[in-house]
Amino acid sequence: MSFFSLIIKNPFRNKTRSALAIVGIAIGIATIVALGIITDGLKASTEETLKAGGADFSIAESNVSDLFFSKIDEEYIARIKEVDGVNDVVGILMAIQRVEDNPYFVLIGIDPAKLSISNIKVTEGQAFAAGDAKEVIIGKVASEKLNKTVGDTITLNREEYEITGIFQTGDLQQDGGAFLSLENVQAIENKNDTVTMLYVKIDNNADVEEVTAKIEEEYGNDLTTIASLEDLASIDQGLQTIDTASWAISLLAIVIGGIGVINTMIMSVYERTREIGVLKAVGWKDRRILSMILGESIVLTLVAGLVGAIMGILGIQVLLALGMDSFIAPVYSADVFIRAFAVALTVGLLGGFYPAYRASRLPPTEALRYE
Amino acid sequence: MNKENIVEIQNLQKSFDHGKITALNGINLEIKKGEFVSIIGPSGSGKSTLLNMIGALDKADTGSIVVSGNDLIQKKDLSEFRSREIGFIFQLHNLIPNLSVLENVEIPMYEKKMSSSQMRKRALELLEYVGLSDKLKRKPTELSGGERQRVAIARALANEPSIILADEPTGSLDSKTGAMILNRLKDLHEKENVTLIMVTHDMDVASLADRTIKVLDGKIQN
Repeated sequence: MSFFSLIIKNPFRNKTRSALAIVGIAIGIATIVALGIITDGLKASTEETLKAGGADFSIAESNVSDLFFSKIDEEYIARIKEVDGVNDVVGILMAIQRVEDNPYFVLIGIDPAKLSISNIKVTEGQAFAAGDAKEVIIGKVASEKLNKTVGDTITLNREEYEITGIFQTGDLQQDGGAFLSLENVQAIENKNDTVTMLYVKIDNNADVEEVTAKIEEEYGNDLTTIASLEDLASIDQGLQTIDTASWAISLLAIVIGGIGVINTMIMSVYERTREIGVLKAVGWKDRRILSMILGESIVLTLVAGLVGAIMGILGIQVLLALGMDSFIAPVYSADVFIRAFAVALTVGLLGGFYPAYRASRLPPTEALRYE
Repeated sequence: MNKENIVEIQNLQKSFDHGKITALNGINLEIKKGEFVSIIGPSGSGKSTLLNMIGALDKADTGSIVVSGNDLIQKKDLSEFRSREIGFIFQLHNLIPNLSVLENVEIPMYEKKMSSSQMRKRALELLEYVGLSDKLKRKPTELSGGERQRVAIARALANEPSIILADEPTGSLDSKTGAMILNRLKDLHEKENVTLIMVTHDMDVASLADRTIKVLDGKIQN
């Protein structure tokens, strides 16, 4: 039997204790995995909103804590258009309205002629009319949730709107909401001459960095350009908060898991004191005893990592099944799982070291005398 | 050092509990290569401490102890010495409960540069020698007391030690099984010319040896 097989065999001697330790760590790992899957989904969705298909970058108000609170005067549309290299600019106004039992129905107001700059595909019917006509197109997800289609009506801010088309973007947040004319959203929100964001399309021969630099230079006091998710993360505190929370939970999982592992391994070493004495008597070096106990601890936490990853994925499935599918668009990236296993490994190393060190330093005669 | 001597001990002292308990109080002892020596004495006489000193499980306070040419007072890496020179047999078999008979015998071989298949081959030979070839996959709890002690003998022989140290090897066996284990040890000593040092408090057991050393109050009685 190889030394490796021995290390794998040992943690399962006391099945109950090992199982409890594994569950304890696995819960922490599951939280990390589930949160990671949700956060990644949120980031992908936000990126989708920013890029909006045809646009090269977006512009938001500078110094806002969340993109949603961004307010830009409509006159900037004309000003940005004047900047060298800019081909087209469209302003959008985002709003959230209660629609039937969904309190977070996203409305996006946009000039219908500029829909192409967004990556909307109208799959059924046609786009809404410009101006104050009470027309709207709704996303595929919203259409399914509300059980409404082209020709039906939908009530927004106590007014009836006719559904003229169904669209699809691939982004959950948008597909769960609706697009309508900018004027209508401004009226609903009481925000005349105001937009949330500007989508900018540049000339074919222009360079995104050059154009954004020019805008930042000229209008940097009021506006900020967002060309990537990193740009967004630096202004959007919502994403920062989620990232920080996710790291804090990872840290907490390491601390709690680590204490659990220390406890489990100390108990295991304590029970096997005599056995460790025998291993020393037959010539095992301190280092080998240290590697064995540390190895056992890592085996324990890696199994917990696997169990936790499965629990995390199942947890997400449960949330989706419970009707959270309009808010969560899970993204299963390798990153999340690598992080989960890195945490598991860290817990194994940190939690296993002290018990392993203690075992390796046991005086053989005392260990052998232990009853 | 006399070439024929595998153990040479001079004025060896050892105390425990910050000097309150004197376990060894000036031991002088020479054991020849290939000799079968029994160490006898009442409990607390220091006989087990003496055995632990020879097996490098513990360090002496003062004096000198040289085993197989190794100065155990000076030597740093005692585990390497134990792995190479010593085979231990304890009163309680001290087998590892979750491992099979075969795996228990392989345990000392991890410190040797041996492949898994070499380890297996050696363990199989040893278990055949102690007559347990038909119980390789058994766990220690599924064996009788005598069988367990035979596994312990096979384990002690794993690294071809020059000295076998046995601490009350028959202490927890009935007299018939005990006699069988002793025969096995005597056979080992006679056929393989292994040096055998056995601690016991039983005069009948001790009398099987070439020479009996009496220890009392940490000293050898003449």
